[in-house]
Amino acid sequence: MAYSDKVIDHYEQPRNVGSLDKNDDTVGTGIVGAPACGDVMKLQIKVEDGVIKDAKFKTYGCGSAIASSSLVTEWVKGMNLEDAEKIQNSQIAEELSLPPVKIHCSVLAEDAIKAAIKDYRKKHGGGDEA
Amino acid sequence: MVSFDPTADFFQIFALDRGYALDRDALERRYLELASAVHPDRFVGAPAGERRLAMERSSALNEAYRALRDPVRRAEYLVKLGGVDLDSSDPETGAPRPTQAFLIEMIELREQLEEARGDDDAVDELRDAIETRADGALDDAIAALGRGETPAAARALVVHRYLRRFLEEVDGDD
Repeated sequence: MAYSDKVIDHYEQPRNVGSLDKNDDTVGTGIVGAPACGDVMKLQIKVEDGVIKDAKFKTYGCGSAIASSSLVTEWVKGMNLEDAEKIQNSQIAEELSLPPVKIHCSVLAEDAIKAAIKDYRKKHGGGDEA
Repeated sequence: MVSFDPTADFFQIFALDRGYALDRDALERRYLELASAVHPDRFVGAPAGERRLAMERSSALNEAYRALRDPVRRAEYLVKLGGVDLDSSDPETGAPRPTQAFLIEMIELREQLEEARGDDDAVDELRDAIETRADGALDDAIAALGRGETPAAARALVVHRYLRRFLEEVDGDD
C-alpha cells in the first residue's frame, strides 16, 4: 500500500496525540472501532462557549486511521460544535488522498468526532441544542 | 477435467459436512486429489481458455483449502455462510460493532501496555492474559456455531479479532 505524502506526514508526526480528562464537564469523548480490522480510535474535545478549544486523539490502527484522526483534531480546533459536526468522511479522504480500501478509516474519524460532540452534549442537557 | 463447481461452498468442494468439526484427513486427501487434477502443469499444451480456467480453479482450490485448514478462518467462513461477512463494515451484513465498554477496554489495554513496556514480566503477563481471552472468544464462537447462532458467533469473532490485533501490537513494537 502506497500512502500519500499527507498520510505519511500525519503518521510520522501525529498532531494532538494524548488524552483529556474524560470526567471534565467541558470534555467530550468519542470512542469508535472498526470491527472488520480491529482498529480503535479515541477522540476528545474540550469545549468553551460552544467552541472547540482543544482536541486530542489516540488511535490504534493503520497509518490511514492515525492520519484521519490526527487531521480531524487539527481541523476542529477553533471550530464551533455545529461546524465540527458537519465534517464528512469524504473531506478527510480527499485531503489525505485515501485509496478506496482505506475510506473506512475516514468514516471512523467522522464517527469519532460525532461521538465526541454527542458525549459533550449529553453532559450538558442531553438534547440536540448545545 | 474433474467436476469443480465454482458456485460450491468450500465444504462442498471437498465433499465435507458443513460445520466447525472437520475430518482433517479427508480434507488433505481430497485437496491433493483435486489439486493434482486442476494443476496448471497438466494444461501446458491446452488452449488458452482452458489454461486460464485451470489457473483459476487451482487458486480457488488453494484458497478454499487454506480457509478450512485454519481454525479461525474456518469459523469466520462458517459465519460468512451464515450471512455475516466479518471483512465488511456494512452495518447490516458486515462485522457487528463491539460494545462501547469493550472499545474503552481496548484503549485501556494499550495504556496498560505502554506502562508495562520495559518490564518484560509485566508485558508477558499482559500477553498471557489476553491470549487466554482470545482463545476463550474463539471457543465461544465455535460453541455458538454449534448451536447455529451466527450473530453470537460473529460477535465473539470480532472480539477475537480485536484481541489478536492487540497481541500483534504487543509483539510488534518494542
